[in-house]
Amino acid sequence: MSGSIITCKDVCVAYGRTEVLHQVNLEIPDGIFLPFTGPNGSGKTSLLRAILGLIPIRKGRIHSPFQQNAAGYVPQHKVIDPLFPVSVRQIVEMGLYPKRRLFRPLSAEQHDAAENALDMLNMAEHTDKTFRELSGGMKQKTLIARALVSEPDVIIMDEPTSELDEQSEQEVLGHLIKLNRQYGKTVLMAHHDLELMGTLTSNMCQVRHGKAVIVPIGNGGQTDA
Amino acid sequence: MHEAMQCLYCQFPEALRAGLLVSAVCALLGVFVILKRAVFIGITLSEVATCGVAASFLLGIPPLMGSLVLVLASVSLLAIPFEKQRIPRDTLMGIMFIAASALSILLVSKSGPGLMEVNAVLYGDLILSSKKELYTLLVLLVPALLLFLIFLRPILYSFVDREAAKVMGIRTWIWESLYFLILGVVISATSQIAGALLVFCYLVVCPATALMLSKRIKWVMAIAPLAGMFATFLGMVISFEHDLPTNQTICIVSCALFVTGILVKQIGLFMFSRISH
Repeated sequence: MSGSIITCKDVCVAYGRTEVLHQVNLEIPDGIFLPFTGPNGSGKTSLLRAILGLIPIRKGRIHSPFQQNAAGYVPQHKVIDPLFPVSVRQIVEMGLYPKRRLFRPLSAEQHDAAENALDMLNMAEHTDKTFRELSGGMKQKTLIARALVSEPDVIIMDEPTSELDEQSEQEVLGHLIKLNRQYGKTVLMAHHDLELMGTLTSNMCQVRHGKAVIVPIGNGGQTDA
Repeated sequence: MHEAMQCLYCQFPEALRAGLLVSAVCALLGVFVILKRAVFIGITLSEVATCGVAASFLLGIPPLMGSLVLVLASVSLLAIPFEKQRIPRDTLMGIMFIAASALSILLVSKSGPGLMEVNAVLYGDLILSSKKELYTLLVLLVPALLLFLIFLRPILYSFVDREAAKVMGIRTWIWESLYFLILGVVISATSQIAGALLVFCYLVVCPATALMLSKRIKWVMAIAPLAGMFATFLGMVISFEHDLPTNQTICIVSCALFVTGILVKQIGLFMFSRISH
């Protein structure tokens, strides 16, 4: 792990008159597996969305590498309307947009990258299924594959296991740990289960009362400084 | 039937061509109207277009201009982010629909030309399409269709998952606005020729048929225009042979195609399950 990949300096985020984050200062190290925890409404999702540039910040500054290299973003799977007749492969190929832009067709390398991302998540045999035909765990894995296909340095997830059964949750978290430990990806995720996170990593970002701070937890710290 | 087809082609070639063009373009755009769960926008913009035509009679300007101005203004209003508003977007559409429908009648009652003439332009009759109207359609619909197809990728991605698309660097508001702008232009151009009901039918029923028949977006986008064109051709032939109102006949044929699509799918599923067991 070396240096900070994302820096937040005096960041304030507000919805109307309600300020949810107040002068947040964070230095997120490169290659960390960092869960963002806190009670409902504490602002953990808002902080991640601000880092991604999805919501405007009222004050302060966020420095990230996302202008040059887009983050891999994994939203909750319910954001994709099952009405859309798009296949697993098409959703994963969507992740290649930063490389393909408007008109470029899929190159052989990009095709292979999509296949590899699906293989890594054991989704190779489901590529032709539509999103609505998948279980919750498979939907989440599809979105993770989409986030991985363009080989981002940072993967940001919003409660990626919130609606999964225990087995699917273990499987998804296992993949994320593998990405962090084997491939050195920085993984940031909003998560509510502090106890579970304690078994996976040694640091967490605690978001509470509009403030965020990285603190040590648990005994899972095999990767983090 | 064969004789009716020949007569239709000989006597109303412009109507047939205009019908095929309008049905193909509207049905293709309608796929995204349904997927965006914004079906009400189709009938709202059609009514707004009608209201624009009615206003044009009063102001003495070309009907297409009045229709375009009002529809594009409505599209701009609907493009405002509604996430933080107290009322949802479809409520505003409802208000616009009511205002446009009522205002059309009020404007017609005060306009100079005869009521019959105004009604013909307001509610459209495909069979009466002229060569000039066909050219107008070509000039507006072909570029609109090309724009839609050229920018299909970012438009689709913006619709499938707006936030992920934003993270990938797609300026979603540009592509969503472009789609609704294209939709607005197409509805303005087609409503006064085909009528609000038929345009709404093409925007909803034909894409729904395609969505029933296929679960692949590429196939859906191929089937929807074909279903629209087939319904138009068959509807025009039946209306010609049995002396029925053209627009309404096409609407009924489209709905019959939709029901047939459901039956075909259900029978297919039943047969598949029997074979699997």
